[in-house]
Amino acid sequence: MEHVILFAGPMGAGKSTAIATLSDIEVVTTEAANTERHVVDKATTTVALDYGEITIGDEEKVRLYGVPGQSRFDFMWTILRERARGLVLLVNNDDVDPIASMLERLAPFEDLLRRRAVVIGVTRSDVAPRPSTADYAAAVSAAHPGVVLPILTVDARDLTRMRTLLLTLVSLVEAATELETDEVTA
Amino acid sequence: MTSIHRSAQGVIFGTEVLAQMRALAPSLVFASLLTDDGFVVAQTRADTVDSGRFGSMASSVQALSEAVARELHLGTSSYVVIAAQGGHVLQQRVPGHPVILAALFDDAETLGKALSTSRRGAETLAAQFDTLHPVPETIGSTE
Repeated sequence: MEHVILFAGPMGAGKSTAIATLSDIEVVTTEAANTERHVVDKATTTVALDYGEITIGDEEKVRLYGVPGQSRFDFMWTILRERARGLVLLVNNDDVDPIASMLERLAPFEDLLRRRAVVIGVTRSDVAPRPSTADYAAAVSAAHPGVVLPILTVDARDLTRMRTLLLTLVSLVEAATELETDEVTA
Repeated sequence: MTSIHRSAQGVIFGTEVLAQMRALAPSLVFASLLTDDGFVVAQTRADTVDSGRFGSMASSVQALSEAVARELHLGTSSYVVIAAQGGHVLQQRVPGHPVILAALFDDAETLGKALSTSRRGAETLAAQFDTLHPVPETIGSTE
């Protein structure tokens, strides 16, 4: 079985780092010099996609696609979400308004949200301990009544933590697929 | 040091060269000089397309083409060509500088002429940018 998983989130949330941490292969990157260093102080930024792969178990290959964080690249979100089975949304907790940022970044992925094929990873909580994961969960429930998403604090450089987040998502994707299959055959 | 693409003289050079390209090739629908991450440095005929959108897409396409060339060990990507029924989009880096020249030609133009016009524009820009060291005054730079 193969899965296509998207990594989305604001610029500087750790998407490229997360894919590099998880990938079994050398990651394909499309980094460009960042001319918005007054917005996020990092030397480069992804302008098209990151691509990596990880094999889970014996034969379950997961293709990892990272999309640019800036909304001016939202056409890449549109292109890639059409083939995605699940979404890892990373949000940096030291953002100006990380909860608003999370909700804004969830909106374009309504289809995946409806299938419950979304997990949220909160990065940089060591730098900014608030808001808590409970705050994020409350915001998701308020904006999307009835929706409960796994929300974990993560360090994008930490393989164990990122694998936990990814495996959680893969199990959600498989559950959603089974449910859809049952509905079709019923 | 300030990047060339943020220098006032760099913007002037860019605007002049794009105007020269327009004069050379009336089939040029739109042309833009962009930073690597897709911000417009200079442009010509800005009323013809959504220049911000064009810049972002050109930046992504440039990066993807270079990633493909890198993955296939093809060396440096020289051009990106999108040939469509209604015209051609041509992109290339300005040699030696972190900027991209992207141009849209209508279907009245041959691909060869469009390539020639773009290459000449990029080479002229490279020569002019080479004269800008050290970089003079800045436009809104925070670097």
